[in-house]
Amino acid sequence: MSEAPALATRGLVAGYERDLPIVRGIDLTIGKGELVAILGPNGAGKSTYVKAIAGTVPCFGGAIMLDGKDITAMPLHQRISAGLAFVPQTENIFASLSIGENLQLAADVLPKALRAARLEKMWAMFPDLASRPALRAGQLSGGQRQMLAVARALIVEPQVLILDEPSAGLSPKIVSSVFAMLQSINRSGVTILLVEQNVKAALAIADRGVILVEGQLRHEGNAAQLATDPLLAELYLGAQPEKASA
Amino acid sequence: MIAQMLMDGLIAGSMIGLGAIGITLTYSILRFANFAHGELVSWAAYFALSVSTALGTALPGLSASLGPFSFGWSLPLGLIAAMALTGLLALFADTLLFARLRARGASTIILVMAGFGAALTLRSLLEFIFTSKPMYFTSALQIARPLFAGARATPDQLLGLGLAVALVAAVHLILTRTAAGRAMRAVSENQALAGLAGIDVAKTIRLVWLFGASLAAVAGVMAGLLVQIRPYMGHDLLLPLFAAAILGGIGSVPGAMIAGLIVGLAEAACVNFIGAEWRAAVSFFILVAILLLRPQGLFGKAGA
Amino acid sequence: MIELISYGAFFLTLALTYAIMCLGLNVQWGQTGLFNVGVAGFVGIGAYVSALLTTPDAPDRFGGFDLPIAVGWIAAAIAAALASALLGAMTLRLRSDYLAIATFGFAVVVQLAVLNLQKLTGGPFGISFIPRPFGALASDPLVFGLCNLAVVGAVTLAVYGALEHLMRSPWGRVLRAIREDEQAASALGKNATVFRLQAFAVGGAIMGLAGAVQGHFIGYISPEGYVPILTFQVWAMLIVGGSGNNRGAIAGAILVWAIWAASGAALAAFIPADQQARASALKIVMIGVAICLVLLLRPRGLLGERATVSRHVENAGDHAKDKAS
Ligand SMILES: Nc1ncnc2c1ncn2[C@@H]1O[C@H](COP(=O)(O)OP(=O)(O)O)[C@@H](O)[C@H]1O
Ligand SMILES: [Mg+2]
Repeated sequence: MSEAPALATRGLVAGYERDLPIVRGIDLTIGKGELVAILGPNGAGKSTYVKAIAGTVPCFGGAIMLDGKDITAMPLHQRISAGLAFVPQTENIFASLSIGENLQLAADVLPKALRAARLEKMWAMFPDLASRPALRAGQLSGGQRQMLAVARALIVEPQVLILDEPSAGLSPKIVSSVFAMLQSINRSGVTILLVEQNVKAALAIADRGVILVEGQLRHEGNAAQLATDPLLAELYLGAQPEKASA
Repeated sequence: MIAQMLMDGLIAGSMIGLGAIGITLTYSILRFANFAHGELVSWAAYFALSVSTALGTALPGLSASLGPFSFGWSLPLGLIAAMALTGLLALFADTLLFARLRARGASTIILVMAGFGAALTLRSLLEFIFTSKPMYFTSALQIARPLFAGARATPDQLLGLGLAVALVAAVHLILTRTAAGRAMRAVSENQALAGLAGIDVAKTIRLVWLFGASLAAVAGVMAGLLVQIRPYMGHDLLLPLFAAAILGGIGSVPGAMIAGLIVGLAEAACVNFIGAEWRAAVSFFILVAILLLRPQGLFGKAGA
Repeated sequence: MIELISYGAFFLTLALTYAIMCLGLNVQWGQTGLFNVGVAGFVGIGAYVSALLTTPDAPDRFGGFDLPIAVGWIAAAIAAALASALLGAMTLRLRSDYLAIATFGFAVVVQLAVLNLQKLTGGPFGISFIPRPFGALASDPLVFGLCNLAVVGAVTLAVYGALEHLMRSPWGRVLRAIREDEQAASALGKNATVFRLQAFAVGGAIMGLAGAVQGHFIGYISPEGYVPILTFQVWAMLIVGGSGNNRGAIAGAILVWAIWAASGAALAAFIPADQQARASALKIVMIGVAICLVLLLRPRGLLGERATVSRHVENAGDHAKDKAS
């Protein structure tokens, strides 16, 4: 194993228009096997940051390193084979394709010999999906969609998995099963970068949390510490009643 | 004479259906109504004509009639060459024009207008090179043979009908059973997500152009064989093609073929009951009806 | 000298009829971004409606009704506006390119109708004896030509003035807002489709009026006058003049018409008769190439000088649009 971190950004500047960058110089290093949560108020630039890492938003400056390799200029689809997988917050599955086709097309980038085995592995991991591979993915419920999106990302066995608010819009019961799944994926050795609004749940499974405000990192710390820091919660996340009771 | 009307409608309809498959594919994946698709049809016919004439001159044996058909081996060979050349032409137009506009994030309507400009250029270039005089693949006259209930058709026409059905099945299988087909459908639904799933979107788009152009080539050669070759042949076919693609539901390959047959049958009925001079208006009224009653098409998804 | 002046008046009058069409197209494309591939159809409707209403009674076809020229022109504009409104109502709430396809088909149908409805349109023979303004002066070509130029010039100026006024009105501002950022415009509660429909109908009305004015100036119309090449010409004029800009539309029309007429004359003089069709095909190639080049090289100019097309509207769906935060 090399010493290089799983993922790192150096002074990353990114956004939708060059003269109006949303992400304004972010330095972040994520070690192998870590689970890091990105927190921050709405509109802080969390989604833009992870999209820039995944390659769907242009970078205007700085660098993105994946396992020591500079991937800043790498085209979107090549980042997959480099070991990076991203699950966007919305529109993260192909609704007009069947469940099976969603997974199959993600497996298509693998060498032929590996495809069948990986598909089997995903079916075993997500029995809910395995029971009806021919169903159009658009007919799935919110939680099942999230499962399919994660399965689609995992099938290539990425080193780093990035998820943008996987719990948004899900019922509390489903949220906890999604988080349990993320934790077990992380324990199997996958480095995870997780954007979340659900601060408590995210910090419960994370090793570390970082707080992003107005496109810059404001605070970085151990997850357990962050979780009990009421000042931070008020400052950056808005005083939420549930936090007071914690 | 109803039987003959049905036969004529099916033959014309299979030709329209073939062209409409190409349009529906490029429409759903490239996401704009390509007015230059008709010109791909015309160019393909002239490509095939040039290659098959050259082959026939170099090797006279190749133009000897194949069985009951009016043409020799030179035409199928010309068709294969035309598929390749039309594909290259489409890629050329994409590199020069459409890809640059896409890279800039141009809106749909800018792409439509670019297609319109490309269509003007390509069509008039054909007219410049070949003049507007109609041309034919063969001078051999074919006798229509009696089939059923007094309906007649030539072997060439029946071959075209069979080819259309076979191609729809083939295209449908390619789209649903192969990695390239899945990639095209994925790009059609969501380009960014397709990239995130590891699909090379730029390559897939080039593939779609090649695919659409090859289908246009088959339609062009068939139209050239069954009717005639003119610089405006693709332009005149464009409205029926759009009508069929929209009627079938943009993106639906079987839909495009079935809708093509419906348009062909409606045209035949118009010729039979109203008059041949109104034939070209039929597609417009089908288009109006579908836009009013079911804009997503017969087999399309609502909201698409 | 007198001949030269009366030819100049004739040329300019004809060019101005194209300028009116071009102004109509500018309302649709330049101001609103609506792509009309059937200009010839709307111009044709106007020409035939006005001819039908104003020609003297003809035994071999329905009408004419011998009405005053002004009535014909107004009816022409109304008829073309109605046709545009119907097409627009059908397509504008759907995908943006359905309007293009529908107008394309519409022009095909108009062409067929004027050719085949012989009892109404005279079929391939067209309609002649369309009353010409100042017909009584026709014996003096110079005075007649200048009077016609004055009338057509006045119509052009009136359309130009009305459009400039409209574009500066709140209505024009809403149109521009819709064109530049549809999501922002609908968020303001403006019903974008209705505004675009109105713009499309206004543009259509102007094209119909132009068709009528042209028909009355020439005195004779036939189906060949309304083939697709007319659409291409008007597009070339708008693009050369710079769309979004009414003065440019007029200048573009005059310039392109001059080039068109001059190259036609040159072709006739220098190219052998059997090659002339080929050479004029090359003229159309040039229009096509010009359209593509303008799209590639001057995309901003195409949508008018103030246009700022949002490059990211398509994927902004799930995000708040205010960049202020
Ligand atoms: N597609 C887009 N185009 C332009 N600006 C955008 C787009 N998406 C988001 N933004 C802007 O970027 C900023 C950060 O948004 P985002 O990264 O989604 O924040 P977060 O995920 O932290 O809520 C916001 O001001 C938002 O308006
Ligand atoms: Mg977000």
